[in-house]
Amino acid sequence: MKVVELVEVTKVYELPRGSIKALDNVTAGIEAGEFISIMGPSGSGKTTFLNIIGCLDVPTSGEVLIGNEKVNGLSDDQLTKLRRDKIGFVFQQFNLIPTLTALENIEYPMILKGVNGHEERSKEFLRSVGLDEQLGENKPNELSGGEQQRVAIARALANDPDIILADEPTGNLDSKTSKDIMQLLQATNERGKTIIVVTHDPLVAGYTSRTFRLVDGRVDRVGV
Amino acid sequence: MIFFEFAKRNLARHKFRSVLAVIGIVIGVMAITALGILGNSVRLAASEQLYMIGNEVVVFPYGEEAVSEDNFKLIEKTADVAIPINSMVDKVVLNGESELVMIYGMRSEDVSKLLEKEDGQFLKHGSLNCLVGSRLADNYELRVGERATIKSQKPRIVGILKERGMGFDINPDNAIIVSDKMFSSLYNSSGYNLVVVKVGKIEEVEEVRKDIEDRLNKKEKVVMVMELKQIVEGIKEFFNILSMFLIGIGSISLVVAGVSILNVMMMSTVERTKEIGVMRAIGTSKSGILRMFLFESLILGTIGGVIGAIFGFGVGFLVDVLILKEASYLFAPSSIFYVFVGIAFGIGTSVLSGLYPAWRASRLKPIEALRYE
Ligand SMILES: Nc1ncnc2c1ncn2[C@@H]1O[C@H](COP(=O)(O)OP(=O)(O)OP(=O)(O)O)[C@@H](O)[C@H]1O
Ligand SMILES: [Mg+2]
Repeated sequence: MKVVELVEVTKVYELPRGSIKALDNVTAGIEAGEFISIMGPSGSGKTTFLNIIGCLDVPTSGEVLIGNEKVNGLSDDQLTKLRRDKIGFVFQQFNLIPTLTALENIEYPMILKGVNGHEERSKEFLRSVGLDEQLGENKPNELSGGEQQRVAIARALANDPDIILADEPTGNLDSKTSKDIMQLLQATNERGKTIIVVTHDPLVAGYTSRTFRLVDGRVDRVGV
Repeated sequence: MIFFEFAKRNLARHKFRSVLAVIGIVIGVMAITALGILGNSVRLAASEQLYMIGNEVVVFPYGEEAVSEDNFKLIEKTADVAIPINSMVDKVVLNGESELVMIYGMRSEDVSKLLEKEDGQFLKHGSLNCLVGSRLADNYELRVGERATIKSQKPRIVGILKERGMGFDINPDNAIIVSDKMFSSLYNSSGYNLVVVKVGKIEEVEEVRKDIEDRLNKKEKVVMVMELKQIVEGIKEFFNILSMFLIGIGSISLVVAGVSILNVMMMSTVERTKEIGVMRAIGTSKSGILRMFLFESLILGTIGGVIGAIFGFGVGFLVDVLILKEASYLFAPSSIFYVFVGIAFGIGTSVLSGLYPAWRASRLKPIEALRYE
């Protein structure tokens, strides 16, 4: 079953200096349970590709399907719900909410969705990403980068989404911590989550089962 | 409520800035509350002092020295009660002290129709005694049985009047009342300085006033007829406008506070752009972001409003006690009302100022907000 399907997706950014084709007629499908990496030079459209899958951006033309649901034409509120329930985001800068503790950051998506027992569940998630319970009370600025990224992964998993999207999740981490994070993502994938990682790092791509190479907004080559 | 919690924590994150914003609201609300209470207290004080019998019509001579006896006869026909009064300011010796005092001459039987006594008795018909007003009695420690000296006469004080406050007819509190007989033995007068007409029903006041004018001012204007109801209404209206004016001044400081809240909120929406992007990305709706910011301005407004109202009430208290020398006006419902007006204005201004920044924050596009550094 395909969890993500892009059909002839083009994304054009209109700028005063002219327009930029960030994605150029991309057609791609991703099966449930795949671990995908997206590589390519800077400016090749990797983030745009991920944002369109993540329902943060809408294509200029073409169709996007997430778990068989057509995304085109959905309202802002519908897209928001889709992101909340079906997609987990992991960012390069971790992007935890600074006013919330680690545990509260994990709880937050569940509160948004109205999940019962979110306090207990958040503790389980914290443990499952390999963090000590007492770190749960720390604010993001009291955590190391690696710890923050673990919390971010736990947050991404909180509402049991179908897809995890990670844009350079190891870009701000040293190589040892990067390895830990990739192992965590790999373990998550082994438990059945579809994961898509954007990276410049071939070591990171090494964890994945398939790599999309983007050049100038086109999928140049799909490798294994 | 998660967005309320966010609002609280975001305000706590920039304590100094939040405190400054609150201070603005505090000052505005304090001004409104204090000025509102002040205006209202002045109004209450004034209406208490005004001898407010709405059913009186007072006739004064116009262009002549006095209302003539003939004209008084005409006035008497228009209503059940017409009280002719003479007045004169003269040197009077009270308890050994000489003082200029207002002396009213009235028919003995009329006194009780217009005034109340605190002590002693009213005047008997044709009496050569006198009554004194309450303030005069206080100031000169006069008691029933003592004598006043007016010219060569030494009338005995047989009664002390109840305090009545300032009136448009007569001001008895600082005056001496003597009978018409006594008055004419002291001064030669023809006619009367004023005539007080009491009308049975308040609805007929206007009619009686017209009637008197029609009868007396036939050829030329000889009397001026004043209706207390109108004057009292006019004065009340004046004090209402005064209260409004004072509140208007207070509102200006609130507008300033509103601008500062707008400024603070705009700053935080810009600073938190990235955070808003993250929140939106992981599933926070537009309305969630909107609520978060509105709660922030609501919290600022409520804290500022309540503190400001308490301070305003305190200032109102000081002003009432120091200037009006009377704290009871403070607890009148019409004064307490301004405490709530102040709070409502504070919260209203704050939320109104937060509306635009909140709306802007909620409309940020998630990807653009995420890209913001
Ligand atoms: N919001 C935007 N407005 C205008 N142009 C944009 C916008 N987002 C991306 N672009 C442009 O689209 C192209 C693709 O951008 P994208 O961010 O997808 O690249 P990327 O592959 O993620 O690059 P990097 O490796 O540097 O992150 C670039 O030329 C970029 O300048
Ligand atoms: Mg990128």
